[in-house]
Amino acid sequence: MSAPGAPAVAAAGARQAPGATAPGARPGRRRGRGNWTAIGFLSPAALVVALLLYLPFLYTVVLSFTKYDGLSSPQWVALDNFRKFFSDPALGSSVRNTLMWVVGTTVLPVGLGLLIALLSFGIRGGSGFRLPFMLPYALSGAGLGVIWGFILQDGGAANDVLGALHLPGAHTDFLQHWPYNTISMIVAWTWQQTGVNALLFMVGLQSIPKEPLEAARLDGAGGFRLFRSITWPLLAPLTTVVVGLALVASLKTFDIVWVTTQGGPGRSSETLAVTMYRDAFVSGDYGYGSAVALVLTLTTAAVTLAYLRRQVKTREGLG
Amino acid sequence: MTLVATAALALTACGGNSGSANKSELKLYNDKGAWKPFFQQLGTMSKSQIGLSVNPVGYTDENTYQAFIKASLRTPNKPDLFTWATGGQLQDLISTKQVADTSSIWSDGIDKGYLPKNLEPYFTFDSKQYCVPLNVAYWVMFYNKKDFAAAGITTPPTDWNGLMADAAALKAKGFAPFYQTSILFSFVWFQQLLIGTDPDLYNRLATGKAKYTDPGVVAVMQRWKSMIDQGLFADPGSKEQPADQMKSGKTAMTLLGTWFNTSLVQAGMKSDSDYGMFVVPNVTTGASKTQVAFESGPLCSLAKAPDPAANTKFMKWWIQPDAQSTWANSRKDVSANPKVTIDDPALNTVAQAATGDQVTLDNRYFDATPAPILTAALDAFSGFLADPSSYQKQLQTIQQAADEYWKSN
Repeated sequence: MSAPGAPAVAAAGARQAPGATAPGARPGRRRGRGNWTAIGFLSPAALVVALLLYLPFLYTVVLSFTKYDGLSSPQWVALDNFRKFFSDPALGSSVRNTLMWVVGTTVLPVGLGLLIALLSFGIRGGSGFRLPFMLPYALSGAGLGVIWGFILQDGGAANDVLGALHLPGAHTDFLQHWPYNTISMIVAWTWQQTGVNALLFMVGLQSIPKEPLEAARLDGAGGFRLFRSITWPLLAPLTTVVVGLALVASLKTFDIVWVTTQGGPGRSSETLAVTMYRDAFVSGDYGYGSAVALVLTLTTAAVTLAYLRRQVKTREGLG
Repeated sequence: MTLVATAALALTACGGNSGSANKSELKLYNDKGAWKPFFQQLGTMSKSQIGLSVNPVGYTDENTYQAFIKASLRTPNKPDLFTWATGGQLQDLISTKQVADTSSIWSDGIDKGYLPKNLEPYFTFDSKQYCVPLNVAYWVMFYNKKDFAAAGITTPPTDWNGLMADAAALKAKGFAPFYQTSILFSFVWFQQLLIGTDPDLYNRLATGKAKYTDPGVVAVMQRWKSMIDQGLFADPGSKEQPADQMKSGKTAMTLLGTWFNTSLVQAGMKSDSDYGMFVVPNVTTGASKTQVAFESGPLCSLAKAPDPAANTKFMKWWIQPDAQSTWANSRKDVSANPKVTIDDPALNTVAQAATGDQVTLDNRYFDATPAPILTAALDAFSGFLADPSSYQKQLQTIQQAADEYWKSN
């Protein structure tokens, strides 16, 4: 790709050359003026980003090394908050639940989304098939929590339906005990997220060139063989994006858990993001909450970067 | 999440109250969003009587509200009036030295009989009073009269054994005797059983002078577990509102603050005919007085509020009988002003019983307990309700949080 592009750039440079050496022109000065103009245009946006993103982040970093209740002045405690975090007995269950969310929400909504896209791609009435899966995406995380909270509560709709169908689980208190509470919330999340993943995979399927598919078919490939050898590799760039987004979303799972169980009972369904909110805003320990936020941010960034880097390397290896 | 919240707090703080002195309208920030119509009613009344109207800014999420008020203290844009909580939370707020002294309002209010002397200690720090009572509520038992009649119970119980016998009779008829929830109000029965058994231990626990692992506290948890094992409670995992559970008759008794009366009326039940109220008897018979938990939400002003004089004028007006009668009767709740009579005779009777000579008031667990310990305790009690056999582990978890807190406070 880069080789054919290089002469074009060179040619463009050559075409611009006469103008650059025109009588009276001062290239350095013009470039300097251009830079200032660019900075002028960029600065309002940069200022907004700095004010709303970098500044709060830096403030959170500073707070994470303090004891701060929001009323009196923050007191420097060095690494105490981090020591407390890593020795918290609830950390184990919080990390365990977060990992369940990571695995559950990168496998189920992504896998089902891909399946729905594949099943409905290229068939008449496919969009009608996908539509019901798309509708839950209109709900907010909080709305999802309220609805599924009522469905999954003790003696709720889930128990009633299972009882009517004589299936196991009719008397299970889904939200009262681990791991049922975390698993059932992952199911609720899957219900909401599958549709949008199906839509993204549809876009991916539509962008696959027809030639390799036709060539494979002529060579006798079809069904799962066609998918595994042709469709799946060609979908890889989009899969990277979908899985990457699911990964980030799962690591910061908060709203559905908070609304449905508030991380309980007894912190049994808490995720790292819920731990952060609980410590910062419920206990009013903003220093400690900031430390948890910092650990969560760094973990999310590290996991995402590691995933993306691995995907890029794999693709370079293939390419 | 925190980053966004921090930014939002900074923005909300910047966009706070932009007013000047000599105000004719006061913004009243509160964590009781559902009470907006009642605040507005009082605002109309105050406008006509003292020329100051009230614009209520209600929050329904306690955590967001507290974060907002704390953030506003650090900006030049202060709220006019705002509600808070008693106990450690009020003490923390006052320690910032930003809350306006209301000692003169209190002394005048007590002299005129507008404020009860027994409430004063909960608003007093270093011999000075701060804020005035927004509301007061006594934690009593509400009961469904039809359920009681169906179980053959003619009068409310007057001692603990009677209460347990009634609960057994109700259970035998298929009713859930007591309401219970594992979300937020998971502390209710711990509070009641502890004040009814050892009020001194309850108070020492709140101030860090006793431990959650002490034998007295363990015994309370064992009693609570025994009651759960006997099937005396409704499902703690149900998201059905307590008022709806009472109305349907599914649950026979609900132990909550007198503000629950508002919910029952709004649910379409009639006081005295559909439901009644009684003061919960002590568990042990040793104590000379019956213990009743109470709560009072303070209405506060800051010393550097936009118009402190207007705030003082409003608070003086707020505590007098005219305003309090409208405030209490509109909400179908009791008033902090002893001179106010409530239209609801049953509520009046129970309020008189709760404030009588035979009763000692104990500050609600929610207010008496410091926030970090409370957070741990609410989680632990909800864990206990999901698995009652875990009570010792739960008490140890709360004690860990208590040790951590009292180490530096």
